[in-house]
Amino acid sequence: MMDFRQRILTTLNHEEPDRVPVMGLIAEPATSDRILGKPPADVVSMLRNPELKGEIRDIMNSTWSDILYGNFSDALEAAIKLGFDANWTIYTLMQVVEDPEFQLGLALHDIWGRVWEMRTDADGNIVVNYIRGLCPTEEDWHAWVERNRPRFDELIKNAADHHTKLADNYSDRILPIGYTSTGIFESSWQSMGFVNFIKFVYQKPDFVRKVIDFQTDLYMKYLDAIMKSEVDVVLGGDDLGQKTGPMMRPDLIEKLYGDSYRRISELVHKQNKKLIWHSCGNIYALLDKFVEWGFDGIITMEPTAGMELGKVREQVGHKLVLIGNLDVSYLLVRGTQQEVEDAVKKAIRDAAKGGGYILSASHSHSRVDPTRLEWMIEAAHKYGKYPISV
Amino acid sequence: MANGILEQLKNGLLELDRDSTVEAANSIIRGDISVSVKEAVDAVSDALQIVGKRFQDGDWFLAELVYSGEIAKEVMNLLSPLLEAGATESAGTVAVGTVAGDLHDLGKNIFINYAKSAGFNMIDLGIDVPTQKFIDAVREHKPLALGMSCLLTSTDPEIGKVIEELGRQNLRDKVKVIIGGAALTEQFAQAAGADAFAPDAVTGTDIIKQWSVA
Repeated sequence: MMDFRQRILTTLNHEEPDRVPVMGLIAEPATSDRILGKPPADVVSMLRNPELKGEIRDIMNSTWSDILYGNFSDALEAAIKLGFDANWTIYTLMQVVEDPEFQLGLALHDIWGRVWEMRTDADGNIVVNYIRGLCPTEEDWHAWVERNRPRFDELIKNAADHHTKLADNYSDRILPIGYTSTGIFESSWQSMGFVNFIKFVYQKPDFVRKVIDFQTDLYMKYLDAIMKSEVDVVLGGDDLGQKTGPMMRPDLIEKLYGDSYRRISELVHKQNKKLIWHSCGNIYALLDKFVEWGFDGIITMEPTAGMELGKVREQVGHKLVLIGNLDVSYLLVRGTQQEVEDAVKKAIRDAAKGGGYILSASHSHSRVDPTRLEWMIEAAHKYGKYPISV
Repeated sequence: MANGILEQLKNGLLELDRDSTVEAANSIIRGDISVSVKEAVDAVSDALQIVGKRFQDGDWFLAELVYSGEIAKEVMNLLSPLLEAGATESAGTVAVGTVAGDLHDLGKNIFINYAKSAGFNMIDLGIDVPTQKFIDAVREHKPLALGMSCLLTSTDPEIGKVIEELGRQNLRDKVKVIIGGAALTEQFAQAAGADAFAPDAVTGTDIIKQWSVA
């Protein structure tokens, strides 16, 4: 029987391991707490107390890296407890600011110039969502970069420390897969908003080139920092798709970002590591580009955006490792055990022959149910043994 | 000459040439060429029909849809004040908002922009819209359709709440409900009791057009 590392690495080489590996996308504290049986901290009540809000903001800002380490330490513990072979790990640099516009009166401003709202979901969990950019104009963007120069260095240093510490402490029990989480496309448009960005693409192409070049350099350093943790595989990504297709024409994406993506692949491959690429949305029209840019695999394949594993495998063959595709809008939130088992069998049938498939949820959010994740893993162990016979 | 300026207006939009499109609109406004504002508005509408077809055929993508919509909006803002009252007949009123808990508005705004150019009177309820605000909008504006946008899986239960509340307040049979957004699917729409699911703004506009003529 293989261990988790052999299982994942064999799969990434498009060879058949002992059984289909299962990767966790646990990131939200609410999910980790439920799996680990930890009573959730009632941060929401504290945030609603005006006397405590400022204090919590200051504590979060002064201990940001520790909080993130704690989150992903718990995420890895939770993933180990459920039996995942790997789980993603993320570092990002954000500043908590008071903002009465939002439900809890707090927003997060990240290093890429984006505003994230902190709010509670229907179950009372804290969730954060991207809302808008802080740099709607060219002048705003240049000012943002100048003002944050020292913090970009801080991001790189902290990211290296974060991923190294997680790898040191957990890689004997699970494969932590460092994820950059913010891609070049996202960081370029989200700092100014999609509508503004598209106007700039057509009306100020030189400015857009500057933004992309800056973000590419930062991304390369960020990815390099993750690779200092001596992980075998890294996760890059950019949400290039939306519900019905790519956010931009593939030839325009190639023109604006193609060279950046090639440079990223070369950087990873020079260090003999594998590069897995995350993209939400409907990305059939970009799959051939992913191969051309040198990605080793893709993760997500959102079923709610029409992505089907069988179709993806048919289109790209074994030129890409495939990870994900299990639905998180219904199946892993409130699906029955039979439905989860059927979905796992279908995924294995559609993509696992010959290796090159890692079973996983398509994404994560706080309403993904740990029991459904357990059913997913159980079904993978039951039906995922090679040679595949489902 | 008149045809030439209308062609410039239409082709500018279809070639994503903002300057040429705006120049044509300004030329019409100044009265350089004998073209009515109504003819100019119709040319913009025709161009957006072609944009929609290109999007649905997979030739154009979200970026082109957004940018052509922004050019059309700029041009319509120039032309609309000069339209005589009653010169164009509204295709119907549609109230649209992003559900409670969700602050995303890109998809909603594209839909509003696109449907407005197709002749609909669009009532923008904004983002993070509580259930009662949707209900109040149906009572006040008596729209042909109520649109709800939802990007986040964490907020999709809000759609069912609004539809249930429409039923409780005896309004469900008075308005069609159309939903769209990354978190949603056709199956979700059926389960929640919506009349239609729109995967994109162009399809959404096609659906409300069908309701408008029914």
